[in-house]
Amino acid sequence: MRRPLQVELLRGTAPAAALAIFGGTVWMLCVHADVWAGRWAGLVGYFRVCLLILCALMVAAGAWQAGRERRRGMGELLASTPRPAWQPLLVSWLSVAVAGSAGAVAVLGGAAALVGAQATYPGRDWWWVLLVGLLALWAAAAFGVLVGRLVPYRAIAPIAGVATYVGLGATTYVDVYRATWLSPVRDNLRAELLIPGELHLAQAAWLLALTATLLALAARIRWVTVVAVALTAAAAVPIVTGPRVSRLPTDPRAVEPVCTTDGPPVCMARVNAFLLDDVAAAIQPLLTRMAGIPGAPTRAADSTILPDGQVPGQAETVWLNLLEQPQVFGGLAEVSELRSGFRQITEPFCDHAHLDYSPEVDKARTVALQWLLDEQQPLSDLPTDRLRALPLDQQRAWFGEYLAAARACDGKRLAELGERL
Amino acid sequence: MTVNVEGPPTVTVEGLRVSYGKRVVHDGLDLALTAGVHGLLGPNGAGKTTLMRVLATVARPGGGRVRLLGRDISDRAALRAIRRQLGYLPQTFGFYPRFTVREFVEYFAWLREMPRAQIPLAVDRALARVGMLERADDRMKHLSGGMLRRAGIAQAIVNDPRLILLDEPTAGLDPEQRVEFRALLRELGVDACVLVSTHLVEDVAAACSRVSLVDGGRLVFAGTPQELADAGGDGDSGDSAIERGYTAVLRGARAEVAG
Repeated sequence: MRRPLQVELLRGTAPAAALAIFGGTVWMLCVHADVWAGRWAGLVGYFRVCLLILCALMVAAGAWQAGRERRRGMGELLASTPRPAWQPLLVSWLSVAVAGSAGAVAVLGGAAALVGAQATYPGRDWWWVLLVGLLALWAAAAFGVLVGRLVPYRAIAPIAGVATYVGLGATTYVDVYRATWLSPVRDNLRAELLIPGELHLAQAAWLLALTATLLALAARIRWVTVVAVALTAAAAVPIVTGPRVSRLPTDPRAVEPVCTTDGPPVCMARVNAFLLDDVAAAIQPLLTRMAGIPGAPTRAADSTILPDGQVPGQAETVWLNLLEQPQVFGGLAEVSELRSGFRQITEPFCDHAHLDYSPEVDKARTVALQWLLDEQQPLSDLPTDRLRALPLDQQRAWFGEYLAAARACDGKRLAELGERL
Repeated sequence: MTVNVEGPPTVTVEGLRVSYGKRVVHDGLDLALTAGVHGLLGPNGAGKTTLMRVLATVARPGGGRVRLLGRDISDRAALRAIRRQLGYLPQTFGFYPRFTVREFVEYFAWLREMPRAQIPLAVDRALARVGMLERADDRMKHLSGGMLRRAGIAQAIVNDPRLILLDEPTAGLDPEQRVEFRALLRELGVDACVLVSTHLVEDVAAACSRVSLVDGGRLVFAGTPQELADAGGDGDSGDSAIERGYTAVLRGARAEVAG
């Protein structure tokens, strides 16, 4: 079977499948590099998002390959040969499956080299996520082969691909049911989350059994189909009937804080620690600016460290949102966006009280933020410049008073601070 | 009509009945073929291709008995063994355009369950026999109609089959290629039973040891090409003796049915 497989890999749909999957994977990885850059688990987790496109491409490729005999009028000749029909079918499927997987793995390998250059946490069990994703590609190719065999139209390949995209996409909108884990596509596998081991196993078994069922149906081998259907049903049971996975557990080691040793403390979750130097360079000047001011934050930390669901408080820590910040070749995507996270500490803390906003309150708030961020103003006669013109100890005193008033939700005091400028 | 020939028959057809819906193509056809080159003649719609398809185990007969290589084709267990010794070139020859000629013939050697170690030599031999060895690495899509036909014949003979069924094999071949092909047929017929369905009676005269003529789903003549030629007279239409014999036999058979 090796030589026919080699020929199919060269001459069949396989090269086109490999190219399509390669291109699809590159495109998807480029669209959201911030989700996976520097994190192994982020890369494979995002691969499961990519499956939305890649499975659709594999289905189309499988259907095109399986329809080849009909398109080329080979049925008559093939029917006169002794080799059981399932064997050439298996070779056809395998060629598409191997080529498509190779296309994906080649891109992931390149991405892995980029991740490896930055990553600070090796992660746990992420290879399971990758393996299940590759098995999904194989199952998709098998589904395409079945469809291509059953439906005698050329257009069935793109139609089946689009239908797969829509079907898999729909499962991401009904994530509340445990049965949605029958779909390999997940759009919520953040780098710090762990999928329970039994779910990996159940998904792998389900996809393998499903592949066998689809191929047996395509080959029309009755007894194998019966056995494969039974195995598929058995593999689906633990996925469908198990306890609902409402919130994936966090990998405790991934969210351990890793902090700077020099200057004001800036802490990252271990999984994001590759950003520590860049974040510290952007954030430490702001912490230094507030050093010694009563009530001002003394440290900044990655919000990934926060226990899941906990709302960050406004105490001594500024919580940083690193979404969309990581870049493939290092550095931060939007330093100004990250610094603007400090807006949270200049906002009046009025959860349970009412603040009467006035132009003076707004002015004080704007000046406080701009003074803290220490950014140039577009117009030179703004009140911020008047604050900056004061001696440094008076600037810091004004800011300290502002923080105290904001924390107390004291509108009158905030207005007075605004009027003072 | 039953043709009795010497030696154990490779093909035995008794009371063959094939129909497509209400249209009966064959009704009670009998035929026996031994090693040698056999021509199958008949007008369009006579049932030649249907008979070839039945013998190629592609179409199932509605009735009657068909034994190939000593085994009944209704025996599913025997079917695989029969097919291993069968070579078939259908009238409409499909191919994979991106395959090279060698890959295409190799693929069919694999489908015919040849031992893996024998395939490379067998492929080269088959390609050499049809004069395609020099074009072995050309893509199928780059071949002319005649060359495609030769590649089709190569896949049919790659497993050295004992029964070779060629449906319109000379279609698309130029005169020189047809002469070469006739020589190949004679060579193949030494060891195997070769059944050639064709409209070209001169091919039959030149290459076949026996000829069968079907019309309206019935076998209306079986004998040597010379016997077919002798059946015609000067008053029959045709440019050669065998064409006149062909015309005469058909006219007689139709008159018999009408009478």
